Amino acid sequence: MGESFIQLKNLKTYFHTEEGTVPAVDDVSLSIKKGETLAIVGESGSGKSVTSLSLMRLIEPPGRIESGEILFEGHNLVDYSKKKMRAVRGNKIAMIFQEPLTSLNPVFTVGNQISESIIEHQNKSKKEAKQLVIEMLTKVGIPRPEKVFHSYPHALSGGMRQRVMIAMALSCNPELLIADEPTTALDVTIQAQILTLMKELIREFETSILLITHDLGVVAEMADRVIVMYGGQIVEETDVYTLFKHPKHPYTKGLLASTPKVHELKEELISISGTVPNPLDYPIGCRFADRCESVMETCRTVHPELKEIKPGHTVRCWLHE
Amino acid sequence: MNYIVRRMLQIIPVLLIISFIVFTLVFIAGDPVALMLPDDATLEEIEQLRESIGLNEPFYVQYGSYVFRVVQGDFGESFRYGQDALSVVWERLPATFELAIAAIIIAIMVAIPFGIWSATKQNSSIDLIATGAAVVGKAMPNFWLGIMLILFFSVTLGVLPVSGRGSFAHLILPAITLGTGIAAEMTRLIRSSMLEILNQDYIRTAKSKGIKSVQVIYKHAFRNALIPFVTITALQTSTLIGGALITETVFAWPGIGQLLIQAVNTRDMAIVQACVMIIAAIVILMNLLADIIYRILDPRIKLD
Repeated sequence: MGESFIQLKNLKTYFHTEEGTVPAVDDVSLSIKKGETLAIVGESGSGKSVTSLSLMRLIEPPGRIESGEILFEGHNLVDYSKKKMRAVRGNKIAMIFQEPLTSLNPVFTVGNQISESIIEHQNKSKKEAKQLVIEMLTKVGIPRPEKVFHSYPHALSGGMRQRVMIAMALSCNPELLIADEPTTALDVTIQAQILTLMKELIREFETSILLITHDLGVVAEMADRVIVMYGGQIVEETDVYTLFKHPKHPYTKGLLASTPKVHELKEELISISGTVPNPLDYPIGCRFADRCESVMETCRTVHPELKEIKPGHTVRCWLHE
Repeated sequence: MNYIVRRMLQIIPVLLIISFIVFTLVFIAGDPVALMLPDDATLEEIEQLRESIGLNEPFYVQYGSYVFRVVQGDFGESFRYGQDALSVVWERLPATFELAIAAIIIAIMVAIPFGIWSATKQNSSIDLIATGAAVVGKAMPNFWLGIMLILFFSVTLGVLPVSGRGSFAHLILPAITLGTGIAAEMTRLIRSSMLEILNQDYIRTAKSKGIKSVQVIYKHAFRNALIPFVTITALQTSTLIGGALITETVFAWPGIGQLLIQAVNTRDMAIVQACVMIIAAIVILMNLLADIIYRILDPRIKLD
């Protein structure tokens, strides 16, 4: 695993709604190394998807990247023109989404949709693109790729559609693949197939992955390093082994405890009490304080900073000062 | 193909029902004999004529023989034109088609760019102007707009003919009159469907592929917006014909609308019946066409 080739520095993406400003991504810094899989976990509204969309510069009004840098191969993507950004999207950074049915255009064939980015970024003719598409469809394990090339998305199963999405995303051999909940909408057996496929492909294509998920099972299966987000901020970052064995942040501990385990039969599922704070009105102290079992006086009054407690392990918590 | 044949067969009962309604209305409307004979005709003469054209028969017999004749294409003779009613209507149809097609072309040329434009720049000044203009365009009655256009372009400026059909210049004002309302309706339809589609996941996917925004909007979004657009537009044929009726009257455009209004005024019932039946058939055919196009545009729906 080489040096980090993509870095977010103090990224802030805010949504200016009529009710007020939502700091969806609030001062997030992260880096991804070549060939590495970095997972971002967190519940809905924690800012994990907005982080990934910011990276692609796909934030739509009323959202806006307020400040910070997105460094990619030494260039700041925040300063890129629309045209330069287009050359990055789908080409160097590609993305797959949660719901493969709604993420594919219903009125165009699979072949047409995958060809588009190949034609756009690789200067290929339609015929050459078709060849490549069929190659890609074969690689993602789609039987009878010539037939699927001319099929419409609705004619395919959920798993097949997600394979198509993966083929589309990898068609230009991107450096980074952003996978936003890639298996959430799929059946469990299909989930396993898709994860296996992704693992095979990243080895073959040497692609780095930014994996957005709320599923710790997927994290354990796929990730090298993990970032836990809460309330638009990173609360813990470490390698996947440490996260599962020695989690430090009470929120991470809560997440792990609330995941049911097959070998520990329990009467009841454990959950983190309380709800996510209103993003329009975050508390001045720790954003997790109201739900935290180990809450102290300081937690409610002073906002904790992200501290490195061991090399490669950072936590945002007053317990680890 | 099966589907189309099935749908074509469904047209028959619909046309029968329409023929019944039309015939009943005309039947209720009164005795045509009084209009067919000179004022000083004797009672005997009137009775003779009633007998000879079958008006003394009971209602269902009259309707039966009417349907029997209509099926053979015989709508009776127009007493005003002294010839077969259907062929009179037939002669007028091209003029109406010419006007309708010109109006639709104008409407499409206005509505597509403005509809897409205002959807992609929602709440911008362009959007406000386009939606405002659409409301005004839809609210303006055809007859009023037609008269205003005549006053301005024909009377004040004297650049376009006041009425009638002939040169291309004759077509301009009626086509604009008829096209304005349609353009307004189309603009609103395109805008709202584009707004909905631009929020879809597949648009985000298209953007994430790095293709040009022109391609995202005109290929990925507009191709989807075409589905409701084409369908609803085809379904609005009846509105179009209603508008043509008024527009043709204002501009003395010799189409089927003008013919129908004149026939109603002179109680030329053969023409009225033929006109209504032909218009009904056109509307039904356009609805069928809308259904077929819908199925072609949306691959999720099969023709069978």
